[in-house]
Amino acid sequence: MSLVSGPGRAGVGNMPAEMQLFVDKHVRYIQSLDTRKDELEYWLTEHLRLNGLYWGLTALHLLGHPDALPRNEILDFLCSCLHDNGGFGAAPGHDAHMLYTVSAVQILATLDAFGEFEERVKDGRQKVGKFIADLQDSETGTFAGDEWGERDTRFLYGALNALSLMGLLDLVDVAKAVQHVHSCANFDGGYGTSPGAESHSGQVFTCVGALTIAGRLDLVDQERLGAWLSERQLKNGGLNGRPEKQEDVCYSWWVMSSMAMLGKLHWIDGEKLTQFILQCQDPELGGLADRPGDMVDVFHTVFGIAGLSLLKYPGLEEVDPIYCMPRSVTRRCLGK
Amino acid sequence: MSLQLIRSFIANIFLSPFAFLRIILLRLRKGFTYTSEYTMPPPKFYHDDEAWKDVEPLPQDDGGMHPLAAIAYTEEYSEAMGYLRAVMASNEFSERVLGLTEHIISMNPAHYTVWLYRAKTISELGKPLQDEIEWLNPTALKHLKNYQIWHHRQTIIDALGSPEGEAEFVSQMLEKDEKNYHVWSYRQWLVKRFDLFDNLEELQWTESMIDADVRNNSAWNHRYYLVIGGREGHAPSEEVTKREIEYTKEAIRKASQNQSPWNYLKGILRAAQLPKSTIKSFATEFADLEAPDDVYSSHALDLLADIYAEEENNKESAEKALDLLATRYDPIRANYWNYRKGLLSQSEVAA
Repeated sequence: MSLVSGPGRAGVGNMPAEMQLFVDKHVRYIQSLDTRKDELEYWLTEHLRLNGLYWGLTALHLLGHPDALPRNEILDFLCSCLHDNGGFGAAPGHDAHMLYTVSAVQILATLDAFGEFEERVKDGRQKVGKFIADLQDSETGTFAGDEWGERDTRFLYGALNALSLMGLLDLVDVAKAVQHVHSCANFDGGYGTSPGAESHSGQVFTCVGALTIAGRLDLVDQERLGAWLSERQLKNGGLNGRPEKQEDVCYSWWVMSSMAMLGKLHWIDGEKLTQFILQCQDPELGGLADRPGDMVDVFHTVFGIAGLSLLKYPGLEEVDPIYCMPRSVTRRCLGK
Repeated sequence: MSLQLIRSFIANIFLSPFAFLRIILLRLRKGFTYTSEYTMPPPKFYHDDEAWKDVEPLPQDDGGMHPLAAIAYTEEYSEAMGYLRAVMASNEFSERVLGLTEHIISMNPAHYTVWLYRAKTISELGKPLQDEIEWLNPTALKHLKNYQIWHHRQTIIDALGSPEGEAEFVSQMLEKDEKNYHVWSYRQWLVKRFDLFDNLEELQWTESMIDADVRNNSAWNHRYYLVIGGREGHAPSEEVTKREIEYTKEAIRKASQNQSPWNYLKGILRAAQLPKSTIKSFATEFADLEAPDDVYSSHALDLLADIYAEEENNKESAEKALDLLATRYDPIRANYWNYRKGLLSQSEVAA
């Protein structure tokens, strides 16, 4: 899935007085992304291709158009990104990394394609699970992104996300991972990339998500974190990622999903946020941008739509706040 | 020196703001300044370069989805990548490979595999690490939000074993973007790796960053890390606590509706195990319930609500403060303030 931005800009067309979600436009926008290979940006964003596919596919499912991308071609592409060590690269010829491996597992889960994956790759799930498990630091419990060892709570969350979807959590030391997440809690109630690093809503999502999967939300100072998260809402209804920063549609997801996991989503003004997200659409060519007037892209498109789903916008599929995937899919994989 | 010299690191599913994805998006938004930025030196090609005539570039394998689309690469980038694939396939580590990686990085610094191979090459050739840092400096300044560059730098400085010159470099970077998450994380790493917690200059520098922008939450976070957060749970001394409280009060007086110092103040009190009522009279300067039209800080009201709630027989004041927040001073979070009000009556029932 291409990450080429544009061509449209958000909120510059004739937005009708009564705001609405332009479902069909967004579907066509996502479908069009892979037809733009005559643009240099398409190739410069190759190192995100597998993430992009997950973003596009998830948006389509939430929009109620799960079959809008060719299923077999997705599986072919996905398998062409797989390395012998069980990890996935962003695109063929790119090194294996946790982030793409998680995207690959999420795509397989969403397409209900684990069976076909096993047919193509013998013991496929076990191999992928082993790649992920081998990235855990046995001393600290945290995870690296690849064999070179950069550590970040994103990777830890990604590991628990993918392993739980495959039913393979027992391959790693969950208790140690939980300990590490707990050590990243800050004085303001939030979480950063590593112990002591500044609180950031994106990182809060990964830490709260990891603790939720591990069943250890009891470790979170829920009141303080909930208050900090609700402080992210600005007067125009949008949410920011850190104090004194600008609003951005993708935080509709990071902030709201965390609040949903803590059962505190009602602490922010959902109506105002809905309006803000809808203003970030391109009403003519589809897609959402970070804020009104900017270029649209698939990243902000999925997180805007997932945010609207959390806000119970009519007609959208229910999203799972822990996984950023359709709730029907996680129910199927997790059996709950 | 091992291959540990590098790691790649990447984009993110999760965190657009501090990932290079942002760089790409920004670049695209600016009408794709990429071209103007890098075509200043003319495009560099390898097919007619004597030094490369022994190498046959490897074509892109697009994985079968749309193989013909590979022709869409611009010629220069595409050719350079072809040569990179070829040298990687033959495990060549040489000066010309360093040049090639530099060329590709200048076109697309987010391509993590290129950084990886560059590190391997430096390691294999035993190149002086200081040279690599000097080469990195202008590259980092050009690509502020790139992950790879920071990681590359961290590993090299770690191997060098000295933070000399790094403080100046960090300051230079922050002049361009004072809240850059990578840069602050890197600064924290320097403090920890070279044990700069009690280095007076570090605290003074942090202060100068807060002076420059009292709303810079990253600078406040760094201060907390220096004073408390990085010190493995040791409570601050009485002297340090007093100093921090006074410092923060001054900062709040400059901008009373500023979340960062209020959060910081509460953090300091908690770490020193002091009750919130320690700063009751200070908070009242900004929010006096007797003058509900003249509230200068919702954060002060919030704090006072907590303080009143803990006092005996003062639930009414707490309720009044929360009402002011819900209806006048922070109505967008009315549900949250009303929830807090609900807790008041619950604790009454419990009592």
